[in-house]
Amino acid sequence: MTPLSIPRSIQFSVLHAARPMLARDADAMYWMSRYVERAEHVARLLLVTSNLLIDVGDLAPKLQEQQWHGVLHIMRTEAAPPEGTGSVGIRIAQYMTFDRENPNSLISCVSRARENARGIREIISAEMWENLNTLYWSLRAEEAPARFEDSTDDFYRQVMTGSMLFQGLTDQTLAHDQRWLFTQLAKFLERIDVTSRVIETKFNILRASEFLENALRNIHWMAVLRSCCSIEGYRRQHLGDMDPNRVASFLVLERDFPRSIRYAVGMAHTAIASIRAEVNPLSIDPAERILGRLNAQLEYAEPAEIFADGLPAYLQNLQEQIGEAAMAVQKSYFLH
Amino acid sequence: MFEQYEADGLFDEMFAEPNKPRAHYEAVVARLKALGPSAVARRVRMADLTFRNQGITFTVYSDQRGVEKIFPFDMVPRIIPADEWEMIERGLVQRITALNLFCQDIYHEQRILRERIIPPDLIYGAKMFRREMFHVNVPRNIYIHICGTDLIRDKQGRYLVLEDNGRTPSGVSYVLENRGVMKRVFPTMFSAYKVRAIEDYPHNLLQCLKHVAPKRADEPTIVVLTPGTYNSAYFEHSFLARQMGVELVEGQDLVVDNSFVYMRTTAGLRRVDVIYRRVDDDFLDPLCFRSDSCLGVAGLMNAYRCGNLALANAVGTGVADDKAVYAYVPDMIKFYLGQDAILPNVPTYICARDDDRKYVLENLDKLVVKSTNESGGYGMLMGHQASREERATFAERIAADPRNYIAQPVVELSQHPSLIDDRFEGRRIDLRPYILYGEKVIVMPGGLTRVALRKGSLVVNSSQGGGSKDTWVLEAKDETVAAPKSSKEVTVST
Repeated sequence: MTPLSIPRSIQFSVLHAARPMLARDADAMYWMSRYVERAEHVARLLLVTSNLLIDVGDLAPKLQEQQWHGVLHIMRTEAAPPEGTGSVGIRIAQYMTFDRENPNSLISCVSRARENARGIREIISAEMWENLNTLYWSLRAEEAPARFEDSTDDFYRQVMTGSMLFQGLTDQTLAHDQRWLFTQLAKFLERIDVTSRVIETKFNILRASEFLENALRNIHWMAVLRSCCSIEGYRRQHLGDMDPNRVASFLVLERDFPRSIRYAVGMAHTAIASIRAEVNPLSIDPAERILGRLNAQLEYAEPAEIFADGLPAYLQNLQEQIGEAAMAVQKSYFLH
Repeated sequence: MFEQYEADGLFDEMFAEPNKPRAHYEAVVARLKALGPSAVARRVRMADLTFRNQGITFTVYSDQRGVEKIFPFDMVPRIIPADEWEMIERGLVQRITALNLFCQDIYHEQRILRERIIPPDLIYGAKMFRREMFHVNVPRNIYIHICGTDLIRDKQGRYLVLEDNGRTPSGVSYVLENRGVMKRVFPTMFSAYKVRAIEDYPHNLLQCLKHVAPKRADEPTIVVLTPGTYNSAYFEHSFLARQMGVELVEGQDLVVDNSFVYMRTTAGLRRVDVIYRRVDDDFLDPLCFRSDSCLGVAGLMNAYRCGNLALANAVGTGVADDKAVYAYVPDMIKFYLGQDAILPNVPTYICARDDDRKYVLENLDKLVVKSTNESGGYGMLMGHQASREERATFAERIAADPRNYIAQPVVELSQHPSLIDDRFEGRRIDLRPYILYGEKVIVMPGGLTRVALRKGSLVVNSSQGGGSKDTWVLEAKDETVAAPKSSKEVTVST
């Protein structure tokens, strides 16, 4: 008998050896991962926006204010920045970093990620838990605001590094089974959502600022790329030529770059397809259908297509589809 | 560090007389002196940080919404020589055996009541007596699979049983974590000793749970049932599930269909065979017990009665750890096993008895009064420390509901050095060993040594400002390894 001729019955049982996962655990796994990814985006956005101010000084105060409000808009925080002393920038930065009432502040994202992790400590690795718990306590520490004052840059970098370390640990210390697949799905859905909102918001702000001279425009476009952790990837591709359409095409359509929307959609699609195959080998679920179609669309898209009805409209449509996919995941897997 | 250390007329675990450590403590004392206060303090900070970062915490309810706290860790290990432990172990095996026979008897023939060893009204009046369990056969006739029996030592150093915890005893996770942290922070302290390993506890627990699984062809599915993340012992529930590699479920994850229990997974329902439940009887099944419970599973008891499910511990074991029933455990041992209790009880006055009650009410200032069903140090009166008003309130409560109270003379618990700031002071301790009743009875060597960190306090519960220390049970051979020369110690420490 050749090694390949395994009786069907055994193949079947091997296929089903995958350990079932509690629906509540899958839910917590998913949200833990989304909030870790979100925390990283919030930290990077705040860092880049603060640095932008240093770069361009007081050259365009109105634009600066728009950039800060843009941060709130990207994170779907429509509330007006809190009253108080200090510039709009300082107030918004504080609000988005330490305010526990604000559900999208850094501290809220990390707290929620950790709260979810605490509910599933027995199924994540000790390394993942310890890393996230340490990050949480460093933000909750009494001296955290002082560290923030001392070096905002270091402070945000620490959160970004913490988030990335967590994702690395997730890859390296967790079996790549259903648990891991849910973290991947969540991470990439969150990345698609935030990245598309960054591009949309920044595009709108900069389009309305035609008065800017070229040098200054370039700095603003570079900031967009930095907000998406993509400046180096873009430079290698386009040799530093800061053309708005190219920046947008890169962020949306680039095939191999892990921060691009196309890449993230591909990964999210693979994750949901693998989950579905394990749970229900014979069907396709609604979230998989949405992500599969989107994946095909992006894979075969001409760059011109994303500008056909205006980039913001294209991105809004994309966000709606991602929202629907996320809802479908909830329905299929968490609400048994 | 030990210069001002005083025994205060108590039994001191470490010092036989001032500045003269008992043989089995010599090496630890030498090591601590060699390290010196600042090195010890630095390592304690390391330990605290480890506890925090690893989230080894418990939740305190009195604070608003429950706040996570680190269980204070006291770095001076408690050491139990092999011969002492051998006696304790025999006593505990005897006790859990008798308690299980008692539960089996109470829920079936009730011989112990019919032969007037225990007054029936004491059992029927016990809050935790479960009529629902009458004539229910539990898997392999085991009721108390996991028991935590609290031991104390009196002024003469005799070990006494203070109470049995036969429902859902907690604390074992801290025992394992304390050992882990101790090995990391003070590795050299172990070198002079042969300390018995405790790390196989989760494995033994899993075997114990497998032992009671309903007999079916396939591997049983075992889960740990927790009330949720806001429960004070949530860390432990999660810890044990992780260590055993089984799912940690909440009531909402389970569903009963056709008298089988299932858990809700991403792929639909999966059958569950054994539940290590950390939810009290009262909350287990709203159809059977408290109907307002959201922590349990409707229909669970039915599946249990049908024999489709094993629960650890069984339902109704609370009748065995009722504090009034406790007074009869030596009689149970005599009755079921024909033996004398190896570990004596603390003398106990049962307020339901007229003579006892009269004595208790007249001597409230000398006694400790306990509610028969509370745990965690709640519902207690320390008569000698209480105010006149507090005593009067308790007198009224006892008169109104005598069945609910017992009283005991104040036992001056033994003391052990604890690190307080940068020096050592005596603090009262107790010991909770963990006993597993599966295919055989396994006593974990050691257990949770709890410390009353408040000076002069006799209450060791974590909810009342208690801490804990690592507990070393020594191997029978070479237990008194001579302390290394301190000069050699210094070179090791730098």
